[in-house]
Amino acid sequence: MIEITSTPLVLIAILGTVGVILPIISIARKEKGSNSFYAVIAFAALIMSMGYVGYQFINENVSASALFSDDVIVDDAFGGFFAIAMLIVALFTTVGSFNYMRKHNSPAVYYSLILLATIGMVLVAYSTDLVMLFVAWELMSIPTYVLVGFMKKNPSSNEAALKYFLFGALSSAIIVYGISISYGLTGSTNIGEVIQGYSTLDPSLLPLALLSVGMFIAGFGFKMGLVPFHQWLPDTYEGAPSPITALLAAATKKAGFAASIRIVILGMVFLNLDWTLALGIIAVMTMTIGNVAAIMQKNLSRMLAYSSIAHAGYILIGLAIAPYSSLGLQGSLYQIMNHAIMKGAAFIAIAGIVTTLAVTNIDKLKGLGRKMPITALGLVIALFALAGIPPLSGFWSKLMLFGSALDASSVLWWAPWLAIAGVLNSALSLAYYGWITRKMYFEGETEKRIAEPKSIIAVMIFSTIFLVGFGVYPEPLIKFVEFATPVISLGLMP
Amino acid sequence: MATESFGFPFEVGTLSAWLVWILPFAAAMIIPGIGKLSKHATGYVAVAFALMSALSAATMIPVALEAHELHHQIMWIEAIGLKGGVLADPLSIIMANVVGWISFLIMIYSTGYMKGDKDITRFWFWMMFFIGSMQLIVLSDNLLQVFFGWEGVGLASYALISFWYRDKKKDHVGVEGRTVLGMLDYYAPTHAGMKAFIMTKVGDVMMIAGMLLIFLFAGTFGFKELMGDTQWATTMAAQGLLVPAFVLLFGGAIGKSAQFPLNEWLLEAMTGPTAVSALIHAATMVKAGVFLVARIGPLVFALGAAGIMADQFFEIVAWVGAITALLLATQGMVNPEIKKVLAYSTGSQIGYMMMALGVAGLSHQYVDGYTAGFFHLISHAMFKASLFMAAGSLLHIVGSRFMTDMGGLRKQMKKTYAFMWAAGLGLMGAPFITTGFWSKDAIFAAVYESGNEWAMPLYAIAVLTAVITAFYTTRMIGMVFFGKKSKHIEKMEEEGHHIHEASLSMWVPYGILAVLTIGIGLIGLSAEEGLHHVFTDYLEHSFGIHSEHAAAETSILPEFLQGLNPVALGSSLVAFATGIGLGYIFYIGRWVDPVKFVNSNIFFYSIHKVILNRWYLNAIIYWCFVVAPLWLTRGIFRYFEKTAIDYGMNDGIQKAVGWSAKVVQGTQTGVSQSYLFVFGAGLLFVVLILLI
Repeated sequence: MIEITSTPLVLIAILGTVGVILPIISIARKEKGSNSFYAVIAFAALIMSMGYVGYQFINENVSASALFSDDVIVDDAFGGFFAIAMLIVALFTTVGSFNYMRKHNSPAVYYSLILLATIGMVLVAYSTDLVMLFVAWELMSIPTYVLVGFMKKNPSSNEAALKYFLFGALSSAIIVYGISISYGLTGSTNIGEVIQGYSTLDPSLLPLALLSVGMFIAGFGFKMGLVPFHQWLPDTYEGAPSPITALLAAATKKAGFAASIRIVILGMVFLNLDWTLALGIIAVMTMTIGNVAAIMQKNLSRMLAYSSIAHAGYILIGLAIAPYSSLGLQGSLYQIMNHAIMKGAAFIAIAGIVTTLAVTNIDKLKGLGRKMPITALGLVIALFALAGIPPLSGFWSKLMLFGSALDASSVLWWAPWLAIAGVLNSALSLAYYGWITRKMYFEGETEKRIAEPKSIIAVMIFSTIFLVGFGVYPEPLIKFVEFATPVISLGLMP
Repeated sequence: MATESFGFPFEVGTLSAWLVWILPFAAAMIIPGIGKLSKHATGYVAVAFALMSALSAATMIPVALEAHELHHQIMWIEAIGLKGGVLADPLSIIMANVVGWISFLIMIYSTGYMKGDKDITRFWFWMMFFIGSMQLIVLSDNLLQVFFGWEGVGLASYALISFWYRDKKKDHVGVEGRTVLGMLDYYAPTHAGMKAFIMTKVGDVMMIAGMLLIFLFAGTFGFKELMGDTQWATTMAAQGLLVPAFVLLFGGAIGKSAQFPLNEWLLEAMTGPTAVSALIHAATMVKAGVFLVARIGPLVFALGAAGIMADQFFEIVAWVGAITALLLATQGMVNPEIKKVLAYSTGSQIGYMMMALGVAGLSHQYVDGYTAGFFHLISHAMFKASLFMAAGSLLHIVGSRFMTDMGGLRKQMKKTYAFMWAAGLGLMGAPFITTGFWSKDAIFAAVYESGNEWAMPLYAIAVLTAVITAFYTTRMIGMVFFGKKSKHIEKMEEEGHHIHEASLSMWVPYGILAVLTIGIGLIGLSAEEGLHHVFTDYLEHSFGIHSEHAAAETSILPEFLQGLNPVALGSSLVAFATGIGLGYIFYIGRWVDPVKFVNSNIFFYSIHKVILNRWYLNAIIYWCFVVAPLWLTRGIFRYFEKTAIDYGMNDGIQKAVGWSAKVVQGTQTGVSQSYLFVFGAGLLFVVLILLI
């Protein structure tokens, strides 16, 4: 039985309570537009949650990454790792919305939805039961549908929400389909039991089992933005309010990876190893198409949307390599943490630019380095970290990922090609990151400095310290990643 | 460590060792700031810091005399276990004092020499940076830190050689319009700085390769650690990499010390202010190479004693030194520019030092050659700094770098005349009264007694070089101070310029050094014996190199010269007499006109021409490494870059990426139906891969 003080339950209690109470307060207060009041409450709730996760880690109440559990959720380091990444992004989003939401209505609902989506994401990472996972998945998805369409008078926001919802519904349906097949085959929804059932399956039923794996890949792949399930993503990221884009790109995407690692990777290791090739092909397709498309973009949000597709490809390298090299999953987790910070910071920077200058067109960013020096610097650091330039934190995670592919090359003939594709793609991505940097710093001459939103500056400073700090001294983060990564080997059975 | 009980982290001597090189850097840091307040004050700050640095070095002298050593390390880069630190042993302490005190005198001189220069702040900044880098080399306890100082010296020399970057005509060196093999022998300061930088970089690249090679096997850069456990050397020797690694390190020294074949930058380095030349030639830069060899030499010798032979290293050092000594001395005989004569002389004297350090490793008495080389470094530092500063005064007052524009100056510039004689006698090795004599004699003796198969050829070169040295020094003094006044001076006097003695702050520094050259020379033998004693103990303690104290043989020499080698002494005296005699005939007595003499027959004429054209070495280097690569790059640019790369790859890749991006974008229609279709197709695709 799961304890009442376990991290996921306490997070539900904190975030859920505040999330529900916020709209009630707003009705009781009957006054409009006090955005910062609700933002502060939401911020406090997130900080408390963060504190609790940290407290649990420090007191060593968190078990090492458990693969399976008899309960529906488990309080392990793997979930805690994702919870930290997601809570940081949720904090970014909340802080970034201080200014962004000032001109918009019903802030209470907005922050409430962010908190509820956060519960969903965190629970996805903690789930060990397919039904629990699905419920958490929906709890994460539904608030984000609303958030994407929050600008209800803005047609592109509406279109974005509609597309997002359409695909979300489809992918949910596909996940349910996958769950139902696996339940039909094994008679259980507990992930451990499902996997045990799969490993002793009658060979004639194997295609069905593989079909369910395909369903899971497609269903989760939608959130992760894998090619060919990615097409909604640029439209949605572009249309959604920028802080929400940060939440989508940096956090909900990671929930997809958490779910994939729990089910597809951990589980299917015991089923059939051929699926790794499928993941490898998808990884290369995803990063290549993401980067190639990003090069031609004129809109900053859209460019970063494609870049986040490309990064899903990098992260997937680690998943594909997972059974062959212990570095694979570590690299993925490392990249997930870094990407959450980098992408989160980049989209918050865009939110800052949009609120002050109302532009997202890259051509209009001329001289941003002089206009908004701190935002521009934070953005450039985040972009360079995304490109994986040493000594920023993004370099080490990419190094680990590509290193894992080389590490696995002795047992997997196509593994080095993943590393080669990754390196070539990183080089390609420098083209557009460099282009933005050039626009901001080397073009335009007469710009004067304008006031930058303080909340944005706070996020930029945090992300810069994180990326540079852990870039120069990556040791603690690597230790944490090692601790949080589940150890899987072919001999391990539930 | 008793001092630790006071909570003080250093021994006092250790603190000095840090301060010696940190103080000049600190001065370099604050000088630009002070320059904003008052340009005048920068000079005083620089002199004060140079003095403090020199004093810090002086406080360590007792440590050297007791043959102790101070070694203090701090963690530098924890992740790879790299330590930084200072190593103050007799070698580095003596060197630090030479560098510190001579730099201090040069700084005083500079306050007069550079008076009124517009860019004085920049001058002081780089001078202090220069001294700091040199002291860093001297006091480092590991190769990597040495390399940092090494590069600092290179950078500072580049900045100072091209200090007068406006390339005015008077700041050039060489004869305008003169060409050798089609290469202009006339250089602007900026060109000269670049040349020095690039040529020394050739050596630096070799040095870093050698360093890393050793690090690869030893896992450390530290001198003490390398000596502590010699397992690495055994492994390297087994793979035949030990000698190459040491020779690569020596490559760095060749570049910095302007040894053959990287000697040509030294001449053009004369475009810098004379104070800079003095600093480069007497205390820093060129001495860095000698110091490096002195640093690693005992290590190599100790390895040899332990059975890991690396004799080839010493042979290369000795021969490079010998060739350089002769090659550059010959060129000193014919050059018309006073600073260039001195520059050739420096390269040649450094060659002596290298020869001594190399021969030391080939003999059984390592300490003899080692002491000789280092003693010569010290005495050369004194008289060469003095000569350069004096030459700077001449330039300053006459306004020309050519000796043919001087002449007959001994009446007007009495002090400079006297001091130049004193220092010049040191360079010539005037018997019994100059430091130069004792140190050169020690080198002769070391070479002669080494008992190596190469000893006799090396000895012959050394003696021949000594003859030439005495000759060109006499020539220099003769041309400047004797004979008739040149047309240039007569014209100056007609225009109302008064030829006068240099100012106080200028003549005092070189006066001190000239007096010291004679003063220490008078007690030269005991000074050398003291040094010999210190180094014997040092080599014994630090490297376990024993030296046999041969029982004093009674030789044919008189009482006060006991212990000297009679053959070396004899050739030393003959060389001096021959050189100065020939010089007197041509340039002081002026009994024979040298121009007529050279033109008298084709043999002398062609030798003179080859030497004057720098043995064609400079021109050949330019043809091979400047002109040819430029042609090659132009060719590549025209026929490869523009066609294959530009049209093929650049445009090709750009178009391919653009095209594929368009294709990818084409699928992004914005129509949800088509998206959903792709999603479904994708699902099918995934399931298909899984099922296959």
